[in-house]
Amino acid sequence: MSAVSELAPTLIWVVIVGMAATNFTLRFVPMAVLSRVTLPAPVMRWLGFIPVSVMGALFAQVILLPSFEAAPNVPLYLNPGIFGGLGAMLVFRLTRSFMIASLAGMGVYVLVRWLVGV
Amino acid sequence: MQNDVVHTVHFRRGLKLGLPIFLGYVPVGAAFGILACQYGFSFVAALVCSATALAGAGQFIALTTLVAGGNALTVLVACGVVNLRYVLFGATLSPYLRHVPPRIMAWLGFTLTDETFAINIADLRAGDATCWSMAGVGVIAWTGWVLGTAIGWLSSGWLGDPTRFGVDFAMAAMFSALFVALAENWRQVVCGVLAGALVCGLWLVASLGVALDANWFITIASLAGATVAVFMFRDEGKSPEEIAANDEILVTERAVRLDSRADSSTGGECGE
Repeated sequence: MSAVSELAPTLIWVVIVGMAATNFTLRFVPMAVLSRVTLPAPVMRWLGFIPVSVMGALFAQVILLPSFEAAPNVPLYLNPGIFGGLGAMLVFRLTRSFMIASLAGMGVYVLVRWLVGV
Repeated sequence: MQNDVVHTVHFRRGLKLGLPIFLGYVPVGAAFGILACQYGFSFVAALVCSATALAGAGQFIALTTLVAGGNALTVLVACGVVNLRYVLFGATLSPYLRHVPPRIMAWLGFTLTDETFAINIADLRAGDATCWSMAGVGVIAWTGWVLGTAIGWLSSGWLGDPTRFGVDFAMAAMFSALFVALAENWRQVVCGVLAGALVCGLWLVASLGVALDANWFITIASLAGATVAVFMFRDEGKSPEEIAANDEILVTERAVRLDSRADSSTGGECGE
């Protein structure tokens, strides 16, 4: 293994501590503060749409965008990612198990990737 | 005593529920471990970094920014920007967590990621989650990430490409399933599809050469998707209760349920 440009240990540790502090603050403070107040109904309603919105955005980010980038010549109807995603959705509908659905999605993904040859 | 048993049952259920996250985190954690090793992180530094930051994309961005010659502040700002969505996640979870003890709340905050958020919010909506099951989801996710980092660092590359068995698709498959779990009615479906389309749109604009930072895509698209949905489905002249029934989200009702459990004479699911 050839080391790429190695970093100074002090810098590494400053970044590690800083990242831990930043992440914990961003994650914990909004949760802790907002759980102590009763949010107004319109805000609650808006927050109710956030999870599905996040999931739609993540689906696009982890399935659609890499597909466009990695294999621009493979048409969407042959795309392993889209097949795997739809497979996972269908299996989840039938089983209601995230584990089984994830494994099924991975299986379909590997199978289609092998069949299409990407 | 009896409460401890109940807590253990819930905690174990959380560990099981989080298994797909574990499956997805090990290979991605390994990829981080390999990269960290190449960039001069000691084994301890790589492990501590993963164990304390628990930030997939954030950690990769920190590495690349560092190697590009960025100083500590640049790295932290870059990492903070990509993790701003956690504020949104925390706000969304907050109504459910009213009676959660502080130390458990701290653990839930510490282990809040895209994946734990998604699993827990789906479980909360289904009415099954307690803070103990959520803590379990956090433990299994954290273990997968740290274990993956260790495996990656120690293998230093001879493992080969960890993605060849399709494990790179574990998270994508889980998000697909979660989309189905969360899209409870057509309003929710429209909202999710809208946010997804927006990410694709932003990507298209960026690929045309417009300077757009891809780290913002998820946050922008989620905020916009939910906002458009709220205005699109206005239900004018209806009471808040009727609107909630039309949305079929029932956030408040479930939140109250979790509260009353905590207040019950048995000490509740999340009591001390």
